[in-house]
Amino acid sequence: MATKQSTLRSVKRLNRFGALKTRFGAFFVDWALWGYVAYEIVYLLNRYWYTEIHFYGRLTVPAWGWPIVIIGTLELAAISHAFANSIGLSLFGLTVLSQDYKYPTGIQRLRRYLWWHVSLLSLPITLFSSDRKNKLLHDRMSDTGMFRIKDVKDEMPVTTPHAWYKTYRGMTGILLIALTIWVGWLVTQISLSALIDRAPKTAYMWKALVTPDFTHMFALDPELAVNANPDLPASIFAGLLQSLFMALLATALGGVVAFPLSFLGARNMMGYSPMGWVVYWLMRGFFNIVRSIESLLWGIVFAIWVGFGPFAGVLALSVHTIAALGKLYSEQVEGIDPGPLEAIRAAGGNRLQVILYGVIPQIVPSFLAFTLYRWDINLRMATVISLVGGGGIGRLLFYYKGQVGRLDNAWNQVAAVIAVIVVVVWFLDYLSGRVREKIN
Amino acid sequence: MDEQLVIEHLSKVYERGEVLALNDVSFTVKKGEFLVVIGLSGSGKSTLLRCINRLIEPTAGKVFFEGVDVTAASSRELLRIRRKMGMIFQQFNLVKRSSVLTNVLAGRLGYVNPWLSVIHKFPREDIELAFKNLDRVAIRDQAYKRADELSGGQQQRVGIARALMQEPDLLMADEPVSALDPATSHSVMKYLEQMNQEDGVTVITSLHFLSLARRYGTRILALKDGEIVFEGLPSEIDEARFKEIYGDEAEHVEVS
Repeated sequence: MATKQSTLRSVKRLNRFGALKTRFGAFFVDWALWGYVAYEIVYLLNRYWYTEIHFYGRLTVPAWGWPIVIIGTLELAAISHAFANSIGLSLFGLTVLSQDYKYPTGIQRLRRYLWWHVSLLSLPITLFSSDRKNKLLHDRMSDTGMFRIKDVKDEMPVTTPHAWYKTYRGMTGILLIALTIWVGWLVTQISLSALIDRAPKTAYMWKALVTPDFTHMFALDPELAVNANPDLPASIFAGLLQSLFMALLATALGGVVAFPLSFLGARNMMGYSPMGWVVYWLMRGFFNIVRSIESLLWGIVFAIWVGFGPFAGVLALSVHTIAALGKLYSEQVEGIDPGPLEAIRAAGGNRLQVILYGVIPQIVPSFLAFTLYRWDINLRMATVISLVGGGGIGRLLFYYKGQVGRLDNAWNQVAAVIAVIVVVVWFLDYLSGRVREKIN
Repeated sequence: MDEQLVIEHLSKVYERGEVLALNDVSFTVKKGEFLVVIGLSGSGKSTLLRCINRLIEPTAGKVFFEGVDVTAASSRELLRIRRKMGMIFQQFNLVKRSSVLTNVLAGRLGYVNPWLSVIHKFPREDIELAFKNLDRVAIRDQAYKRADELSGGQQQRVGIARALMQEPDLLMADEPVSALDPATSHSVMKYLEQMNQEDGVTVITSLHFLSLARRYGTRILALKDGEIVFEGLPSEIDEARFKEIYGDEAEHVEVS
């Protein structure tokens, strides 16, 4: 029985290569956190030097300062690793215990920390040594080891837990959050005085915003209609119509293109041949990259390409829709029940028939729901896409905003446009929500 | 031609050589037989059935169906072979959101013009056949319901009707009744028996319960760890054989 247990334990000890990867990960997290702390301290020093002490100069880190910062943060990380359950260790679910599964004594921890330096230098030798039982030097010299908490849960010493803010983790956590808020406050130039002192100046704007001026709801604004181009909306209603159509077309176009592409981006449809993997990763990459570029940025691209106007807006929305829906669709395809596909293949159905009779019936409801949801998003985007020349109701919004100071009722007109957008978006959101409920 | 299905040295290795699901399995099936494959979960029953129609690609060995080498068939030939082998499944494998009729017609996909099937157009004869087969398994009145509105036993009968659409020479059933209660199990097994006896369709089915295997099988094949450990008549399985197949700790469980 005793021998069985000891083999069990030796299995539980992290095997050296897996351990190194995890241990590097944990150490890197701690190092990065201390580096972050160092950055913030330097930032704060610099900031107060600049504002309080020496207005015309900045603190700079001299050339010899950088090695100190790097070594200092490394040391801090090593200390937090050896003497406490650092954030890195907890993140990777690791803990340092002595070889008899007790918490190490102070001396052991100190030995561990000091030998770590030698261990670091001899790391290349450790990596290539063939003796797999050989542990890292600082493990061996301090008679301690690093363990996965889930492996040694049963053997770990039971101690009364401290209050969270008394643990090392809690304290570093508080330090990090406090520093982040302090530095972030300065970086983003948050100014409560501006928020309060200048509030009265906006009174006239708020007053105008709650008294919208619907003069140009249906009637053309003569200044906007000056070149008589019916495709450039000159009334709120015309702009709204254009935005609605833009959203509809972009959703339809995007959906139609995303539909076939989503099969190429679904693992279970692409098989496991090298070609299948390549197409799958290309498709996934395409979806993710294109999706991470906002519609407004696509709007800039297409406004340059096809000129200002609703067409550029539709293209911008479509491209983003293809990527966004493609990703959502392909995840749905990956989640289908493979049973019916098997049945149709067993009946002698070909690939196309498998998709038509096995896959599509399963995905239709979620595809419809996602498409409706996307229409929602597209409508909201279509109201502001004209910021970059994409047409729609936004044309009026930004036009009236630009007339502030020239027209007395500019804000009132802006308010009218916003009110219309809010009502329509809210109504369609409600509608598509109801339809999505019905599907399935 | 007496021997309808010939399996020679069939092996299947999963996951880069880690799991040997089938190990050098050879046997023959005569036309009109009701062969029951028994064995514990993970003994290779499902893999064996799926290797016969190559839903799973065997690693080694050959399968001959009515004299044709299935393992050597091109993908086009394979579709022709598969449509003569009906298959029903443990989890029924119906498209839950489609109607019962559509599910049954899907069994005909190997026969119809692929381009007409794109627009869900089936010949009038096929639709008549579908109703005839639904009639046979006594669920004609459910034809326009969604498949998931039916009970488990009814769903498996849809599965049988779908397999019947293939006008199969061989019917394979992978644990057709393990998801069903005992009473429903018998009604489903009786449909298989009826197809076997009235239409002369060869049946190969895997079953969990020995009592069902004894009641319906004309011959029994037992698998253990991917190897055949018994092949013979149901009556030949005595207590010793039973222990050999199911392990020493097994107890008889009756499905009455």
